[in-house]
Amino acid sequence: MRRFVFFGGKGGVGKTTVSSAYAHRCARGGLDTLLVSTDPAHSTADVFDQAFDDDPTPVDGYDSLEVMEIDPEEAVDDHLMGIKRQLGDQVSPAIVNEIDRQIELAHRTPGAHEAALFDRFIDVMREAEHDRVVFDTSPTGGTLRLLSLPEYLGGWIDRLLEKREASVDLYEKAAIGGREPRRTAIGDPIIARLRERKGNFEFAGRTLREEAAFFLVVNPDELSIRETRRAVESLSSEGLAVTGLVANRLTPEPEDHEDGRGARFLRDRVATERERLDEIRETFDQPLVAAIGTRTEEVKGDLLGSVAEELDIEVSAETPGR
Amino acid sequence: MDLSHRIAAFRETVEEWLRGLYHGMVSHRAYEYIEQEAEDQEDAFLLACFPDAFGIPSPVSYYTAELLPYLGPEFEQWERRMWDRGSVLERKGHQFHY
Repeated sequence: MRRFVFFGGKGGVGKTTVSSAYAHRCARGGLDTLLVSTDPAHSTADVFDQAFDDDPTPVDGYDSLEVMEIDPEEAVDDHLMGIKRQLGDQVSPAIVNEIDRQIELAHRTPGAHEAALFDRFIDVMREAEHDRVVFDTSPTGGTLRLLSLPEYLGGWIDRLLEKREASVDLYEKAAIGGREPRRTAIGDPIIARLRERKGNFEFAGRTLREEAAFFLVVNPDELSIRETRRAVESLSSEGLAVTGLVANRLTPEPEDHEDGRGARFLRDRVATERERLDEIRETFDQPLVAAIGTRTEEVKGDLLGSVAEELDIEVSAETPGR
Repeated sequence: MDLSHRIAAFRETVEEWLRGLYHGMVSHRAYEYIEQEAEDQEDAFLLACFPDAFGIPSPVSYYTAELLPYLGPEFEQWERRMWDRGSVLERKGHQFHY
């Protein structure tokens, strides 16, 4: 199994449950595991009955499980403060206000949260020293956009770099007769910054393609299946292969002798779900790696272990030098 | 003052004039021309970086905001230029001394 494992899917299908169960399994299997929640509405805290924050925190009762919850809001603010600090060092106070407005504006644009989240993703993938990093992602749309960012932003930065290099080059040419050019390509902080960003995006793209595995959590209903189909398509179009599907929230079958209204309802429901599961098995290229029954209680504590047992996802780390 | 000195002085004056003339007619204008082109390129760069300054949302303004500390003075001048510029012709017209 690859080092970074992502769980995605429609809202409310139980991504947190499944990813927590998988993280539990990895940790119990002796792997040094980190579970990263990127959903702004974090619920890992509820699963483990423990508060987490932006730094990996060891989970009580585990030897090798850590959890972190990324808060994009905080990441945006950090970024904002960082730039402002630099602004104070670099620019004369007279124009700081003017530029301040632009910086504020940039951090209130719709993409800012995603960009901040994406940066934190990259940080985690760069710095985490764990054997396995499990990502509990936000509902499909957000995650998909996030994962398509490297390509998209990389192209954009490329164009910016080109323009900047062209203008610096012209400035150098304009310095006829040994004059000092207004700007030089060597030591230009803008070019350096853009290159660094570009490097970051390339790293992310490469890591997602080569070292990450994606699982989609699906419920046995039409809407969820349809959304999953779209998600598989758009992930593939980004060059990211979905490794498998996890069916969650399956209805339990009543005993044969039961024949009340409840039992009849359950029997109907189970029959429909079986059809849906067959549909999933037949129409998707990806294997269905688990079919997890619904629980009457919230999945947490001991229940996590029983859910983890139903997950047929390989835990062992991929042999190095594959 | 003997003749050789007077010739040397005369040549010096002529050289200075010629250099001035060449500078004024050719090199300075070439310099200006290239530099203005560079400025145009820079304007395009800034516009690509910060279209949101003009109400066009940009997917990368979160990242390009990092450049602002280095672009400080340029940014402000640029913003003013962009708001003031009447037409492309006006800017291009600068490049010709009639």
